[in-house]
Amino acid sequence: MVNLIQMIVSGIAVGSAYALMGLGMVLIYKASEVPNFVQGEMALAPVFISYLLMNSYGAPVWVAFAGALVFAMVLGCILEFAVLRRAKDPNVLGLIIITIGLEMILLGLVSWKFGADQRSLPFPISSYDSVVIGNIFISTLDLLTLVVALVIMTILFLFFRFSKLGVAMKATQQNEIAARLMGIRTNRIKMVTWGISAMVGSVAGLLAAPVIMEPFMMWDPMLKGFAGAVVGGMTSLPGAVVGSYLVGVIEHLFGGYVSIEFKSVVAFVVIVIVLCVRPSGLLAKHYIKKV
Amino acid sequence: MKRFAAIMIISAALALCFGTAGMCEVGVTDTEIHIGQWGPQTGPAAPWGAVARGTDAYFKMINAEGGIHGRKLVHHYFDDAYNPAKTVAGVKQLQEQEGMFAWVSGVGTATGLAVKDYLMENKIPWIGPSAGSRHWVEPPQKYLFNVYPFYMGDAQLLCQYAVETLGKKKIAIAFQNDDYGKQGVEGAEYQLKKAGMELAVKVPVNVADTDMIPHVMELKKAEADAVLLFVTPGHVARIIGTGKAMQFEPTWMSSSTCGDFPLMMAITKGLSQGMITASFGLAEPTGHVGEVQLLDNPVQKMVAKYKTDAFDKFAAQDERYGYTFLAGIGFAEPLVEAIRRCGKDLTREKLVKELENMQNFKGVLGRINYKPFDPKDPTCRLGQGEVFLQECTENGGSKILTDWVKTVYLPSKAE
Repeated sequence: MVNLIQMIVSGIAVGSAYALMGLGMVLIYKASEVPNFVQGEMALAPVFISYLLMNSYGAPVWVAFAGALVFAMVLGCILEFAVLRRAKDPNVLGLIIITIGLEMILLGLVSWKFGADQRSLPFPISSYDSVVIGNIFISTLDLLTLVVALVIMTILFLFFRFSKLGVAMKATQQNEIAARLMGIRTNRIKMVTWGISAMVGSVAGLLAAPVIMEPFMMWDPMLKGFAGAVVGGMTSLPGAVVGSYLVGVIEHLFGGYVSIEFKSVVAFVVIVIVLCVRPSGLLAKHYIKKV
Repeated sequence: MKRFAAIMIISAALALCFGTAGMCEVGVTDTEIHIGQWGPQTGPAAPWGAVARGTDAYFKMINAEGGIHGRKLVHHYFDDAYNPAKTVAGVKQLQEQEGMFAWVSGVGTATGLAVKDYLMENKIPWIGPSAGSRHWVEPPQKYLFNVYPFYMGDAQLLCQYAVETLGKKKIAIAFQNDDYGKQGVEGAEYQLKKAGMELAVKVPVNVADTDMIPHVMELKKAEADAVLLFVTPGHVARIIGTGKAMQFEPTWMSSSTCGDFPLMMAITKGLSQGMITASFGLAEPTGHVGEVQLLDNPVQKMVAKYKTDAFDKFAAQDERYGYTFLAGIGFAEPLVEAIRRCGKDLTREKLVKELENMQNFKGVLGRINYKPFDPKDPTCRLGQGEVFLQECTENGGSKILTDWVKTVYLPSKAE
């Protein structure tokens, strides 16, 4: 029984990172209508920038993190502005390939500039401390990630509900032409969406970096976040979150009770099942055909 | 008429090509010897890119000292990003366009396997693959000389030490789900069987996995007091870290791939202190058991020489001086020595002969032995069959735990 609870707790802990990546992907999907495969690397580059700030410039942790977030915002905006928008009359497949290409470029740049040796980010909270309740443990860092993820989700919710920019973003996502007619600068909105998505993703990266940092570190969370977003519905923000936590928990339960070897595969099996049963995802509105 | 002329021209061209090729060994001129290497300069295995750069600095050092019998070593190394498809493309291109005399090192089992048949069919010598896979010697190939001591040997010595010296009762293993990890399992099971024991639990780890909580839970459930970690350094860091958070702290042990203690201390933030790994060299155990040695230890004169003559002079500005870089030198030493022994008249057949006669050659790794080719005996191309154990100290130094120990070669079980 203890093991079961522990597995669920660990699954939730791990799901937070997936949830942040999933959120980022859904944000972009709703705005630019493309599954964004450069999500992982948009999160990766700011992490290395913060490492650079801390190591070469001796900046304190909070300054480095703030710098990383600013860099993420700028990076997201630049990617949308300079690359995606320039695609001439693209279809979805073309856009996906563009994002994959960007992913390879960013990954290569980070590997080349920083070298591929593993490192770890200095962080005030040790990644090896844990909070133990009874027999259940959760590492302090995982707990922090969970709290931060929930805070970010709340902020995003309030932002979309109550702020002018947030409402404008929702309008752009729902009906771009109508939004334009209402005077919303949709191009700028899309740019900002990418920036916000990169920032959300980089938070996940920054909280994973204290354990270990290497150019390939965001690959796994991105895929699982994508899986979570598909499960929850690519057009639903709460769906991405719920889906990602679900993926995390199912993964851990599967690993504990069935087979550790195929633990990672289970996330993708879940995608297939959900797509067969409820193609739009668990929490999204079911569209028969988008007119 | 036109077609006839075309055929004549092509035949003449071919005749010229083959005619001139017969004059000198491929890849060897009066002033140069061309050696090729592949390596992951980018991609998931990029930390091991330092191996090829180490070989490069080593060759430059030799050239600066005058080369070998008046010939300079020209090192052609390319980035295959740990992707076998790229390895094949690169090897074929270099071999067919430039013509390599031989190939040295080369990181990766999958990458090496992709080009092994091509190299062997064309009778091109390949020395010192940078991976401890049994495929290099099963079946043994005339032109393929292994150097890297096999991982199963690491597991044997680690288990022997754990049981006999440390008195451990429950030994478990977390292993990468490929030949590297499985060799660890086989070596451990072989050694433990001799002591009448079994592995407490075997936990497979996929390379792409970043979350080690389920794995550590399994290890903790089995109440292991010593855990063998046959995974990458990144995974070792995650497992040890997760273990500490879960208040599970057995004796951690690993293979030679995680023997780079300065790196391990950096990425585990000091948790790897006390970890015991096997080592294939870069320290001198004989007569120094119980001592703590760092890379710049005074016992290892050759390592010191490489630091000043190869690394300081020829390595890139931000290159890290460490295990991986030196391994690139260690894997190339047998080839260089064999080329020296061939003398001025250098051919591939002579190279093979000189290598086969190599007995107890000692560079910065352990003793390297080969035997005349016998298709039924894998040990004729084994290279180094000994390892020793080291323990990580608080400043990333190596405390020597054992002397060199010869380990047993275990052939793969028939699937």
